[in-house]
Amino acid sequence: MTIKLIRDHGQHYRPRMACLQKLEAMVLEMQSGVKSSEQKLNITSIPHVITGEDILAWIANHMKVDTQEARTMGTMLVAYGFIYPLQDHKRLILKPDGSLYRFQTPYFWPAQKWKVDDTDYAIYLAKRNIRKKGSLDVYEQENYNKLHKWLNYKWDFIVMQAKEQYRAGKERNKADRVVFDCQERAFWIVHRPPPRTHSAMDYGVDRLIDPNVEEKKTFDYYKRIVSLISLNISLFILVKFMTTYKGHDPFLAPCLPSNPWQTDDDTYWELNMRSVETPTKMRVERWSFSFFELLSDPRGRADFKVFLKKEFSGENLAFWEAAEEMKWGAASSINEQAQTIFKTFLAPGAPRWINIDGRTMGLTVKGLEHPHRYVLDAAQTHIFMLMKKDTFYRYLKSPVYKDMQKKSLSPAPHTFTDSQLEQNARNRKPGIDPIIIWQQEEEERAKAAAAAGPIDIKKLMASKLDRK
Amino acid sequence: MPLSNSKVADDGSSAQPQREGQAMVDSLTKVVACYRHLASCIGGSTDSTSLRQELRQTREHAQTLAVSCRNHLTARLRDKTLSEEDRKETELQWVAFSSCLELFHADMCKVYHMGSCFSVAKKSAMVQTGLQGGATEVAARALSMPNLQEQNGEQTASMEGLDQSQLEQEIAQVDRTLEDMEMKVNVLRWTVEAKGPQYADPVSVDSASLALLSGDEEGGFCDRSQMFVLLMLCGVALVAVVLSVCVVYLA
Repeated sequence: MTIKLIRDHGQHYRPRMACLQKLEAMVLEMQSGVKSSEQKLNITSIPHVITGEDILAWIANHMKVDTQEARTMGTMLVAYGFIYPLQDHKRLILKPDGSLYRFQTPYFWPAQKWKVDDTDYAIYLAKRNIRKKGSLDVYEQENYNKLHKWLNYKWDFIVMQAKEQYRAGKERNKADRVVFDCQERAFWIVHRPPPRTHSAMDYGVDRLIDPNVEEKKTFDYYKRIVSLISLNISLFILVKFMTTYKGHDPFLAPCLPSNPWQTDDDTYWELNMRSVETPTKMRVERWSFSFFELLSDPRGRADFKVFLKKEFSGENLAFWEAAEEMKWGAASSINEQAQTIFKTFLAPGAPRWINIDGRTMGLTVKGLEHPHRYVLDAAQTHIFMLMKKDTFYRYLKSPVYKDMQKKSLSPAPHTFTDSQLEQNARNRKPGIDPIIIWQQEEEERAKAAAAAGPIDIKKLMASKLDRK
Repeated sequence: MPLSNSKVADDGSSAQPQREGQAMVDSLTKVVACYRHLASCIGGSTDSTSLRQELRQTREHAQTLAVSCRNHLTARLRDKTLSEEDRKETELQWVAFSSCLELFHADMCKVYHMGSCFSVAKKSAMVQTGLQGGATEVAARALSMPNLQEQNGEQTASMEGLDQSQLEQEIAQVDRTLEDMEMKVNVLRWTVEAKGPQYADPVSVDSASLALLSGDEEGGFCDRSQMFVLLMLCGVALVAVVLSVCVVYLA
């Protein structure tokens, strides 16, 4: 069925493949540039055969690049199907020796507009089978069977068309028949690659709208492109983000002390564990970027909790954590968690009463009558903003944070020799079992829950007075 | 050009129009297959004005066939008095016809696109594909004529432009035909079952082209090794014969 007749709202268009047009232009220029010779087969000889090294030399000369780059370019040409190899036809690479290649006819060039049809593939496989029974590879045989199941309604047509194409092909002279068979075979290796090979035609997902069609200039279109102010702001935000996180990007900055995947030395992982005593300088610096960063790093959150304990304002964070737990926890525990949270944080006269404005409090309490996962969202956001605007900045100026900054380590980069690397590789051992980590976390959580019981001010003051 | 006529037979026996329909679909399949072979030569080393002319003639022939086929099949499928078996057969023909038309449409689009990229006037810009002979025989097969008369006169640039615009119109026409077909005749594709076998029987073992292709693959080394082995065997056999003769004479 043609595309126009499929009236669903799915994606049917292939994305823009700008490289194809550039490759076409290059191939057309190669026609006069590359030396061609003849291929001798038994009695006939077929002209227009080029060798790999000639192609390589031409590309290096024409594009003014070195040999390695030219080889990659050449392999791309072969992988897209503009040139096909005559020997070892299943591997689409450019061999820089005397291996023979030939140009593909423009009918079989890859195009963005036309998706390669399964019907054509079925006809091709049927033709191969007609020519010699059982000459299909295993993967081709599987594809053939699958197509027979899917395209069953037009199978008679496919067989008939295959026979007719075969007979029409016999009208041509022998050399041309061989060339056409080679061309078709190369075309299908590109577009239906054998398993476990790379395919250059892997383009990802289909698109919803045709990328080649010019967008109609309606009012919405202009509204979209004329929002300059928001563009400015978003650019500014982007630049700010990039300057802050530049040193922390795993691609741009080197991994200190050394990348465990490369050197088999897991110091980096040890230093950055969840509950490490002294975190690294980079980690501590990262906490100062935004409140969200601080909270999402478990070590940072622990530090923040210590600070809040000193300030006697731990209930905000406790409420936030309790709300997170409810949001991400099991559905069966939502009811009882809602009850505990209400009793601990929201009820008037609660032991850890949080200070949120009246409207949010009213909404939350009302929602808690029929609790669901996100009933505490409004209150949680309010508390988050409160902590961010007030407590967070005080934390950054506090002695707790400054101490942490002084204590934090800055590991020196490793320089391993080859023999040391081999030693590391031999000494590889498995890391801590995740079950053990989970058990440790559970213990910590239990301890924290016990310790974070309602801090009875009177008892505390009484103990202090006693000491005095 | 004599065509199989599109007489919508209103006779008593239903086999006649059935066979007619089948014959029309068969000939359309043949023409479309030949058109594909011709289209694969465009832009290559054998591209020439005669190739373009052959393409045009094949295309026109396919169009007339398609129109007559469509009329015949539409009339038959609209006929309420058709028996179940006949309807099934006609639906099969219908599916074959529409698939044929889709292939033809795709090929025409490609030819149009390539025709605008590769002009026959600039012969130097063609791709050296290794083809040598023309595709005249294929076109002759398509048009069901024993030999094709060489059309005289070079095709000028303006004629080429005319050809392109005509091709564009025909593509649009086939487009409309396909849409009309889907709208007017309700053939449920999922109910159509193929009757033929999964594997087509080999028409005739084309050993010559096969040998060339396998020789092409291994670059002739396989042949040489085979020859060597053959010679070895012959040599061994000869030695054996000589020895036996010696034994006979000495004994």
